[in-house]
Amino acid sequence: MLELFSFGDTGWGDELLAGFGVTVALAAVTLPVGILLGFAVALASMSKNRVLRSIGIGYTTIFRGVPELLTLFTVYNGAALILNQIAKAANPEAGFVELSPFVAGVVSLGLVFGAFSAEVLRGAFQALDKGQIEAGLAVGMRPVHVFHRIKLPQVWRFALPGLGNLWVNLVKDTALVSIISLNDLMRMTSVAVGFTKKPFTFFLVACLAYWAVCALSEVVAAKLEERANRGIRRA
Amino acid sequence: MAFTDVLVNFWPRLLHGLGLTLLLTGVSAVLAAAISLPLAVFRTNASAKAQLPLRVYISFMRGTPLLGQLFLIYYGSGQFRPALQEVGLWTFFRDPFNCAILAFTLNSVAYQIEILRGGLMGVPAGQIEAAKAVGMNRLQAYRRIILPHTYRIAQPALGNEIILLMKGSAVASVITIFDLMGETKTIFAKTFDFSIYLWAAVIYLVLTAVFVRAWRYLEKLLNPHLAGHAPAGALHPVMGMR
Amino acid sequence: MNNDVSTTLVVEDIHKSFGPVEVLKGISLIAREHDVISILGASGSGKSTFLRCINLLEMPTSGRIHLHGDHIEIVKDRHGNSRPKDQRQVEHMRTKLGMVFQQFNLWTHMTVLENVMEGPVTVLKQPKAEARERAEAMLARVGLSERKNFYPSGLSGGQQQRVAIARALCMEPDVMLFDEPTSALDPELVGEVLQVMRKLAEEGRTMIVVTHEMGFARDVSTEVVFLHKGQIEEQGPPEAMFKEQKSDRFRQFLSKVR
Repeated sequence: MLELFSFGDTGWGDELLAGFGVTVALAAVTLPVGILLGFAVALASMSKNRVLRSIGIGYTTIFRGVPELLTLFTVYNGAALILNQIAKAANPEAGFVELSPFVAGVVSLGLVFGAFSAEVLRGAFQALDKGQIEAGLAVGMRPVHVFHRIKLPQVWRFALPGLGNLWVNLVKDTALVSIISLNDLMRMTSVAVGFTKKPFTFFLVACLAYWAVCALSEVVAAKLEERANRGIRRA
Repeated sequence: MAFTDVLVNFWPRLLHGLGLTLLLTGVSAVLAAAISLPLAVFRTNASAKAQLPLRVYISFMRGTPLLGQLFLIYYGSGQFRPALQEVGLWTFFRDPFNCAILAFTLNSVAYQIEILRGGLMGVPAGQIEAAKAVGMNRLQAYRRIILPHTYRIAQPALGNEIILLMKGSAVASVITIFDLMGETKTIFAKTFDFSIYLWAAVIYLVLTAVFVRAWRYLEKLLNPHLAGHAPAGALHPVMGMR
Repeated sequence: MNNDVSTTLVVEDIHKSFGPVEVLKGISLIAREHDVISILGASGSGKSTFLRCINLLEMPTSGRIHLHGDHIEIVKDRHGNSRPKDQRQVEHMRTKLGMVFQQFNLWTHMTVLENVMEGPVTVLKQPKAEARERAEAMLARVGLSERKNFYPSGLSGGQQQRVAIARALCMEPDVMLFDEPTSALDPELVGEVLQVMRKLAEEGRTMIVVTHEMGFARDVSTEVVFLHKGQIEEQGPPEAMFKEQKSDRFRQFLSKVR
């Protein structure tokens, strides 16, 4: 049975590995997008400006409440429609414009990650030790400095467990993008199944691969948490 | 105007899909709740060695995509068709709806076990000691003292898990189940009317909002003691507490 | 074993270790009917641990407990851990030992009345109507009838402790165990609880009380037991014990607390 997974022409090893690479790449590219979006939305949700606050709250409500699969389809089909309108307006002769599933994946998963991480970050910001902020201001730091040197390290420490969880969910959610034909691990597995007629074997291996990534992520997250919490005395 | 057309034309299908989504979510959630309770008690009390298979199961269900679990059960069972036919289980696994329920239940059990474990460990020790001191056996203590506290503590997280289950149920559409997501996809394929996706989003959001309201109301109902004071008609309490 | 008909509770040679540390080094106690025994000692002397061993909330490493026909024997399981030979005996005996905790431990999700009724209904299988009647009578005796429909969170500490006493009494125990019943109370609330306890002693209740309240120990007890580092250092009638101490340690202890 192991020959099924060998590399080269007869085995599926290299196809699955390539798919695995796409999966990891998708998650890795989405992560910074999602976190930046999360910061922006968190700050908006905490702003004194009522409009910004409403936008922030509306955004998190929508993208946390709608199934990721639906968001994915909406972005993929919606973007395709919009792009084609633009293309036709620019050049009436233009053919059908394809939106890369990878980009659709990054955008939709990024929007979702942004919404969930905004809540995690908001909680982290609200847990900040006001005393330490005041100490920074009292010593003459400008608000920008206070943000960088005092707030951010603490926010990072508080948000890390939540963000770690969201990362694991992100890795798992990338499998959804296989449905719009992204050649990730799940899709390559489905292709292999189509040829080998061994669905259980191959889907099990795919699941084990995801499991490994998640388990590894948890180890890394624990190490990061350890480092972020250096010097902190536990109650 | 065109915005509401698709709704007017297809509302029966959407309603049907919505019903199926609710059925998938509800059945899986209830089954998982029933199964996870004894397992959570086991998980909290058993030795590390005895728990190991359960912990592996929980880690697997939480560390792999729901879509993968679904494929594993629905498509994967095909690999064992002869054996399943022999024990008469093939008719079960052939039906995508059954496979979806099975996958969602197995998945939710893993999460609910951890949630209930948090609840069980959060019961104040003094409450349990008082139960022991009055002569209650384990069953009585669980029934009257430990489990009521456990579910009160776990209630918010359980509500969250049900919402996540409902969102996750959308993947059932991938194995040809015409739940809300499935009907949405079908309607879009027929009409190429983008607004159907927006309406679907609205329906999911309304579902979530209604559920959250109902869950919070349930919380108030089950926790009269958290209001602290006497029920209406009694005297004002003397608040001399620490 | 003592065959004296008036003997209520016999605790024999209780040892308790937490890991390598032996906290109780062989304590024996006899409580006859109408005895009010105060257990005194510095923190760390093991007095609360000993009390909790009597109803097996703490598992003694070895020892025997007898109460009116119930015998608790401690044996070792295959991992070397101590456990009672018969768990059912433990539960039965607990119904005859009422315990009042330092932190009251009223069930927070039940009203005062439900708290007091719970034991009789669930454990003693009394019919609800009968249990309710008795519970209301007991609450009247501790002076809390008006609060019977309140939740514990709506009561002061002293009130909660009085409810806890009523709850224990409703099980109609042979012996009442009190684990520092006033230590968690604000000073002005201590009096109301001590008053209830005095009344119980005057009614002839058999009581074992771990306490720091020297007044209670001196004026209400029939016997005082002083523990030091897991052993009984001195014991006897209160008048004698408080007038003249045989052991230095007890003398030192009294001088620090009086």
